[in-house]
Amino acid sequence: MDSRNVFAVAAKDIKETFSSISIYGPMMGIPLFFSIVLPILTIYVTMYAAPSIAVKLALLPVANLPANTLNKVSFMSFFSLNVLGPIFLTIPILTATVIAADSFSGEKERKTSEALLSTPISKSELLTGKILASLIPTILLTVGVFAIYGSIIDILSHGSFGVYILPNAEWLLMLASSPFFAAAAIGVVVIISAHVRGVKEAQQISSLLVLPVILLPFAAITGFADINVSFFEYLILALVLIDIAVIALSVRSFRKEAIL
Amino acid sequence: MLPRAIIMAEIEVNNIVKRFGRVTALYKVSMKAGKGINMVLGPNGAGKSTLLRCIAGLYKPDEGSISVLGRNPYYDDAVRKGVSLISDNYGLYDYLGVLDNLKFFGRLYGLSDSEISSRAQRLLKEFDAKEYADRKVYTLSRGTKQKVAICRAMLSDPEVMLLDEPTAFLDAASAEELRGTLRSMARATTMIYVTQKIDEVERMQGSITVLRKGRIAGSTDLENIYRSVFPGMTVRVKFAKPVSKELLSGMKGIRADSANAQSISMKVKGYKDINSILKALMDRGAAIISVSYEEPTVEDLINGGRIG
Repeated sequence: MDSRNVFAVAAKDIKETFSSISIYGPMMGIPLFFSIVLPILTIYVTMYAAPSIAVKLALLPVANLPANTLNKVSFMSFFSLNVLGPIFLTIPILTATVIAADSFSGEKERKTSEALLSTPISKSELLTGKILASLIPTILLTVGVFAIYGSIIDILSHGSFGVYILPNAEWLLMLASSPFFAAAAIGVVVIISAHVRGVKEAQQISSLLVLPVILLPFAAITGFADINVSFFEYLILALVLIDIAVIALSVRSFRKEAIL
Repeated sequence: MLPRAIIMAEIEVNNIVKRFGRVTALYKVSMKAGKGINMVLGPNGAGKSTLLRCIAGLYKPDEGSISVLGRNPYYDDAVRKGVSLISDNYGLYDYLGVLDNLKFFGRLYGLSDSEISSRAQRLLKEFDAKEYADRKVYTLSRGTKQKVAICRAMLSDPEVMLLDEPTAFLDAASAEELRGTLRSMARATTMIYVTQKIDEVERMQGSITVLRKGRIAGSTDLENIYRSVFPGMTVRVKFAKPVSKELLSGMKGIRADSANAQSISMKVKGYKDINSILKALMDRGAAIISVSYEEPTVEDLINGGRIG
């Protein structure tokens, strides 16, 4: 595999993605909106909704706080991790899906695939380049959004309670799991792209991947899942295995004809 | 003397079959192409583009084999270092600049950035598109996009060029310039040029293979084509001023298009008929301002029953 071809494809795709605000605007707008609005929502709910659920939660290791404040901090920690955290996990899935669908099916839709495939690039170079082109912006965007969200949560929580809630181990592991979610999403897009005609179809089918993640907050609230360090360790392990299987299947199923 | 294509075939297609589901796009197609211009003529849906894509290694034939520069183009990616494909679809990235597009494709052909830059400048200048070098592709006219696509295909200095109606969308001057460039490259390059236009075949002057409904209908040459398509063709002659019936009397097969005989139509058997009739008209004092005929199509050739 010639790494120059891989990087040429990745650089071209990334440049193409960020060449027009009509392409990257919607992709970045929603996550950035979430990262600013959701922390404000969290502090509002914490301060004024007086959640009784906080009483049931394990307390944060914060000493010398009045019980009421302690409950609020516990709730805010729980809410930002268990309820809003999974919402943020949809960001790497959706972002990777949007970029990868555009990258693979977009070549077919915009009729650039014939010129691309008539160059000496190999199937593995093309696939690797396109996977990188989807993965790199996704990881950067996810890290950025997590950083903004975490910073705003901390600013608000420190201002209200005098404590910093994030980052904690679960939060960091959640962030660490995001590239694996993205890789799985990209692999699925590659497989789907071979069977659909355009970007929209690929995006719509691949977007279904967020469904299990969206169920996580409900599982956490109802007690079906305990989103803690062990949960994320097992989740990452499972995702690694899924990634290997999906990527291997996508490499096997990818045919040059598929994007013509 | 054998044609060059037979002496040394850079491209050999042996009995290939390509199916898309139930549709057989190519059936038992065989051809050889050596250095020079190898025209493939066929109507819409004949399988011309599919044939080129098979030769470029984009499609895997269901049966048969293809050799390009001695290698299998579907499995051997390196062979495409010496191959480039131009189609009527420009195949450039709209949101990237012209130079960015050329840089990207040049890198995939293993060229250094400095090589790409110097070749791109030369080619863009040659095709009168240098002023667009920094423009994004979507801002260009369709013809200019096609010119940039041609520059892209020539960037790697290919040994084999696969051309699918490359003059489509070009203005007359640019199309003629491209034909001239291709003709000048023909001695050192193997070209397969697919088209459905007989006049394109006439302008390119290469060996001709006719493809029909996914099968090779035959090989021919330009003289044979015109011998096949001219019989029965209608030629129209326009005059500067109407001619009298007396002037046309005794000339067989001539019909006045209008009452005042501003123009006439005539059925011809061959190009020699045109010359003799025009001479006769001028001898009788007719002032001819134009001679036109309906451009023969490949369907005329095939339906004429001479080929296929």
